[in-house]
Amino acid sequence: MSLASAVQAAPGVYQGFANVIAAVMLLIEFGMLRQALARDQVRLYAAQSALISVLAIVIAADRNLPDLYVLAALSAALKVVAVPLMLRRVLGWTGGEGREEEEPAGVAGSHTLSPASAVLAGIVLAAIGFFCFGAMQIHGPAAPATALSIAGAMVLVAFGLMIVRRDVASQAIGFLALENAISLAALVVASGLPLILETAFLFDLLVAIVVFGMLIRAHHARAESLSTADLTRLRG
Amino acid sequence: MSAALPIPVIQLLQVLTVALGAPGVTGVIARVEARLQGRRGPRIRQPYYDLAKLFRKEALAPEQASWFFLAAPLIAVTCYLTIPLLIPVLTSYPLPLGYMGDILGGGFLLSLASFVVATAALETGSPYAQLGSSRAKTFSAITEPVVLFVVFTVALLTGTDLPYALAATVRSSAGQIIRPAHLLAAAALFMVILHETGRIPVETHTGTNEFGMIEEARAFEHSGPYFALLKWGSELKQLILFTILADVFLAPWGLASTQRAGAIGLAIVALLAKACAVGCVVAVIDNSFAKLRLFKITEFVSGAFLLAVLGVFTLYLGGA
Repeated sequence: MSLASAVQAAPGVYQGFANVIAAVMLLIEFGMLRQALARDQVRLYAAQSALISVLAIVIAADRNLPDLYVLAALSAALKVVAVPLMLRRVLGWTGGEGREEEEPAGVAGSHTLSPASAVLAGIVLAAIGFFCFGAMQIHGPAAPATALSIAGAMVLVAFGLMIVRRDVASQAIGFLALENAISLAALVVASGLPLILETAFLFDLLVAIVVFGMLIRAHHARAESLSTADLTRLRG
Repeated sequence: MSAALPIPVIQLLQVLTVALGAPGVTGVIARVEARLQGRRGPRIRQPYYDLAKLFRKEALAPEQASWFFLAAPLIAVTCYLTIPLLIPVLTSYPLPLGYMGDILGGGFLLSLASFVVATAALETGSPYAQLGSSRAKTFSAITEPVVLFVVFTVALLTGTDLPYALAATVRSSAGQIIRPAHLLAAAALFMVILHETGRIPVETHTGTNEFGMIEEARAFEHSGPYFALLKWGSELKQLILFTILADVFLAPWGLASTQRAGAIGLAIVALLAKACAVGCVVAVIDNSFAKLRLFKITEFVSGAFLLAVLGVFTLYLGGA
C-alpha cells in the first residue's frame, strides 16, 4: 500500500463540525460521570442540551431544513431552561427549608468506583458503543457516521452513569443524558422527521421529569437522603 | 531577495533557535503570569541572567555520588538538543536529519533525558531528590499510554508517524483541522505537556520546597554549572513540547517553505511567537486553577487518556 492511499481523506468541514459537537457532548457526559455535586451535573446537562440545539442549527443550515430551526429553539427552551430549572427546584426542595442553594444529602460520595476507574469503565462502554454502531453501517444521505457512533457510545455511557452512581439525582440526570444521546442519533439519522413527531418526543421528556421529581421526593421523604444505598435492605 | 541558506546551516539554526529561545519563552511566561496576578514581574531576560550566574558558580557534588551524577545534566541537555533535528522547527519541508527518528524516536529521547536526571537524583541519597524522581517516574508511567494513543491517532491520520507528515496533513485542508480525532489528540497532548512541564494542575513550578513537588525536586542536589544545565534542560524541554504542539498539531503555518534567509528568519520569529502564545495560555491556566492533590493527578491523567482514546475510536471504529 502506498503512503498516499493509507492517508484517510478528511470528511469535510460540515461533517467534521457535526462530529466535533457530538464528541464534545460525549466528553460532557464523561464529565457528569465524575462530577460529585448534583447542581454541577445539572449545569453539564444544560450545556450538553445547548450543544444539541447548536447541532440542529448546523444541520438545518447545511441541508436546508427550516423545520430544524424550530426544533432547535423548542429543544433549547425545554432542555436548556425548563428541565434544569425544574430539576434544581426538586433538588432545592430536598435540601430542606431555607436551604435552597445547598446540596441535597447523599449525592456527593455516591460513587461506587473511583473517578479514574469510572472513566476507564466508561471508555470500555464507549468502545462497545462505537463498535456496535460502526458495525451496523448506517449511511444516511448526509449523516456523519462518526456522530452516530458517538451517539451509540453516549447511550452506553449514560447507562454506566446510572449504574456507577448510587443516588436518585444522578440516575435522573443519567436518564436525561440518555435522552440527549437518542436525540443526537435521531438528529443525525432522521433529521427530516416531521416536526410534530419530534415535538411530541420532546414533551415526553416533561412527563419523565415529573415522574423523576415524584420519585426523588418520595425517596427523600422515606430515607432523608437521595442515596439509594439504604434501599438494599428488604425491610426498613 | 535574500540569499538561499545551505541545508546544514538551516539544520543548525533549528537547534540554535530552540537552545537560545527557550529561556526567553520561560521569561515571557513568568512575566505574563506576574502581570495576571497584578505584580510587575521579573524581566523577560531574567532566565538568561540566572543561567549566566549559575554557570560562573562553583559546582559541588555529594560525597557518595559517582561520575554519573555529574554526567547526567550533560546527557540530558544533549538529548534535548538532538530533538529539534527531528521535528519541524523552522521548515515545512523535511531536512535530511529529520528522518533520523519519528515521533516515537523523539519520545524516547525525552524519556532518556528524564531517566538520567532521575537516576542522578537517586544517586545523591537526598530524600527530597529521591522523592521527586520516584514520583516523576510513577506519573510518567501513567502519561506514557496517553502519548502512545496520540501517536496512534497521528499514525491513523497520516499513515506514518513522522511529525513532518502530520503538519503537512493539517495544512492540506480545513476538514483536517476540524476532525474530532485531530482536536482530541491535540487536547490530550496539551494536558500531557502541562504535566511534563510541571505546570499548575499538576505541580507548582516556582521553586518553593513543598511536598507536592515532582519534577522540580530532582535538581535539589546539583549546583553551579550542572544546575544551570538542568534548568536550561527543563526550559529546552518546555520549548520543544510547545513546538511540537504548535508546529505539528495546532498551527503548522508560518514555517519556511524555501531556503531563503528571509523566510527562515520569519520562521524563527513565528516559532517564538507561537511558543509565547501557548505560554500565555499556560500562564492563564496557572492562574485560574488550584494545584491538584497528589493523589488526584491520576484523575487528571485519566482525563487526558480519555481524550486520546476517544480520538483513536473516532478514527478506527467511527471511520472519520
